Amino acid sequence: MQWAIATAAFLASAVEFVEAFTIVLVVGVTINWRSSLLGAFAAAATLAIIVATLGVALVKWVPINDFRLAVGIILILFGLKWLKKAILRYSGLKALHDEEAIFEETVAEIRARGETVAPRFQPFGVALSYKSVLLEGLEVAFIVITFGSSISTSVGGNGILSAAIGATVAGILVIAAGAIIQAPLSKVPENTLKFIVGIMLTSFGTFWAAEGFGYTWPLSDAFIPILIAIYLLASYILVSWLKQYKRRQLASAANASASTPEQEGVRP
Amino acid sequence: MKAIKAIYNFIVGDMVILVGVIITMLALALINFVGALSPLRIATGAILVVAVLVVLTATLYREIRG
Repeated sequence: MQWAIATAAFLASAVEFVEAFTIVLVVGVTINWRSSLLGAFAAAATLAIIVATLGVALVKWVPINDFRLAVGIILILFGLKWLKKAILRYSGLKALHDEEAIFEETVAEIRARGETVAPRFQPFGVALSYKSVLLEGLEVAFIVITFGSSISTSVGGNGILSAAIGATVAGILVIAAGAIIQAPLSKVPENTLKFIVGIMLTSFGTFWAAEGFGYTWPLSDAFIPILIAIYLLASYILVSWLKQYKRRQLASAANASASTPEQEGVRP
Repeated sequence: MKAIKAIYNFIVGDMVILVGVIITMLALALINFVGALSPLRIATGAILVVAVLVVLTATLYREIRG
């Protein structure tokens, strides 16, 4: 069992499954649970097939250095995307992901279409649930494949299996929590999870991309925690800088609004 | 075109990150495959880390300016 890989896959999956669960819940509440669960399970099966086929094919057919380089680049791209969103949300420049608002919005959309609670399978409900789980899960599937297969090729063992276990456990936990609460999982610290995953993807991506060019890191694999520390420190500095920027913007906006009535007052 | 846009949005969805990472990889490819630049090979890791941080800062800067 590769714990770092399983943890990264678990955290990434938890974020994405919480987002997908909101839509599954909407379909379950507004149409029916049969359609909602059928769509969700069909999407989960599709994702499992993608991971099993693509993951194994990549490990078998692509030369290790080219593979590491490609995986490294993809992980850096994914990692920076997640990190950017998380940093903007931490600094208050972007609104936090609001599951309850998304829930209400989607319920309104479905009701506006004229869909009502029905006892039988509703194709629209199945499709909506399938689409949401598949779209949110695709990114996780990519992380599972790239992370897992890169470990499989470098240190042996079954990295894809470790990553798949991490993702599955996250899925089960989200479904169980959702089944108990029967409401959008708004208490899950999505941004913190996103931030941790962003740091991990960027660190591993940097490590493997450089190795793909034939570079050997000092201390070998032990350099990964150093990369994580570097990116954590940089993120902390960036969040502080953005918070200061936001405070300055608010202060200048307040000054501008305070000076406007005075200017108006001296006008004849 | 729609498919390319969907893939772009799925993988990165940010032009600064995409262009920044591509330029970084091209620079590292030059360093590692051109003989005259071979003295820089030892700095591959450091260059990559610095480039990733520059790309992250640049995309955040664009975000607050835009």
